Amino acid sequence: MADSGRLALIHAEIDGELDGPQRAELARTLLADPEAQTLREDLRRLCAALDALGEVDPPQQLRQSILDALPQSTPSRAPPWWSAPRMRYAALIAGVLAAGTIVYETLDGPRPATSDVAGTMATADTPTTVDTVRLGNGAVAGRVNLYRDRAGLGLEFELVASAPVDVLVASDGRTLRVNGLGVRDAPGGPRTTVALPGFGRSVDVTFLMAGHEVGRATLRAPKDR
Amino acid sequence: MKEDDDATLVRRCRNGDRAALEQLVMRYQKPVFNVALRLLRDSEDARDVAQTTFLKVFEHLGDYNPSFKFYSWIYRIAINESLNALGSRKPCEGLNGEEADTAPGPDRQLEGEQTGQAIEEALMRIKPELRAVVILRHFMQLSYRDMGDILLLPEKTVKSRLYSARQLLRDRLLQRGAI
Repeated sequence: MADSGRLALIHAEIDGELDGPQRAELARTLLADPEAQTLREDLRRLCAALDALGEVDPPQQLRQSILDALPQSTPSRAPPWWSAPRMRYAALIAGVLAAGTIVYETLDGPRPATSDVAGTMATADTPTTVDTVRLGNGAVAGRVNLYRDRAGLGLEFELVASAPVDVLVASDGRTLRVNGLGVRDAPGGPRTTVALPGFGRSVDVTFLMAGHEVGRATLRAPKDR
Repeated sequence: MKEDDDATLVRRCRNGDRAALEQLVMRYQKPVFNVALRLLRDSEDARDVAQTTFLKVFEHLGDYNPSFKFYSWIYRIAINESLNALGSRKPCEGLNGEEADTAPGPDRQLEGEQTGQAIEEALMRIKPELRAVVILRHFMQLSYRDMGDILLLPEKTVKSRLYSARQLLRDRLLQRGAI
């Protein structure tokens, strides 16, 4: 036998996924090909054996050990950072310093032109690219940048494709889906940025066109210093 | 119905309801443990993974998007944690005691527990990403679509991996006379 089409029919039959015409096609195949019959029987026995394995009961103490490991208070929404008493004091001190700075700036003399000192340090708001993946000449071309700014990690997509590209982003159990990238006429051009609040440093990106995977990449950010 | 129940429990958890959290643990400890056990074939490791999985669920419950199935989310975490645990094992671990010592000849039929053991051993000899689709399909009884949601793969890739895994398992188990 066995071209991939016939194999797929056999597997699909086992999974109960065949429609009428496909069932007829499989029947014809099985009649004409003894090897296909053998394979089908082997796979049916295999799948029956797999299904028969069933579930294993977890250790009796598992539930309690999980509950013991969980913190006593469940996390709802995280309280705003500024509501913590320590942060309130920090905010007060920051306010005093800011007021002092304004007074100093007002009273202080002339400064060198901005160009004299510009470029020595990036501002905190400037996104810094920490990893980049270039996509070749396949169905999707362009690049993806993983960047870090004050808000955390984010992805910047610059994609070009013949049809809209959907992107699945995954990290540490979190997922995000961005649809319709890579179209030249999109508002704002082909560049799209997506913030990844709370995502881990390793980010898996899967590219889909018409529901089919056309590529994948993993981007990694170094540890915060 | 099940999804609504999960969604309700998650909502209650987010509001600080400890009893709802305990119900989620009760409901999912067994499938999560089994996913890990089938991937790792080590009860202690599976228990650790189950515990870590629930900790992560707890930590990120505030970020969980209720428009997705809860079980897809928790199974994905369990699989990722299991793969991490596999990755941290020594390279040769799991390959010791090659079946040559204990494998019966092709003419000997294994039955019952022996077949189960042969399947478990064969599962451990295929790639973890192939093992994961077999586990989701045959042990968790999930649809291709749900599997794709959990593994973040298109259905076509899920099918391709499942078919490849079955072929490999079939070849190995036939060799051992186990099916």
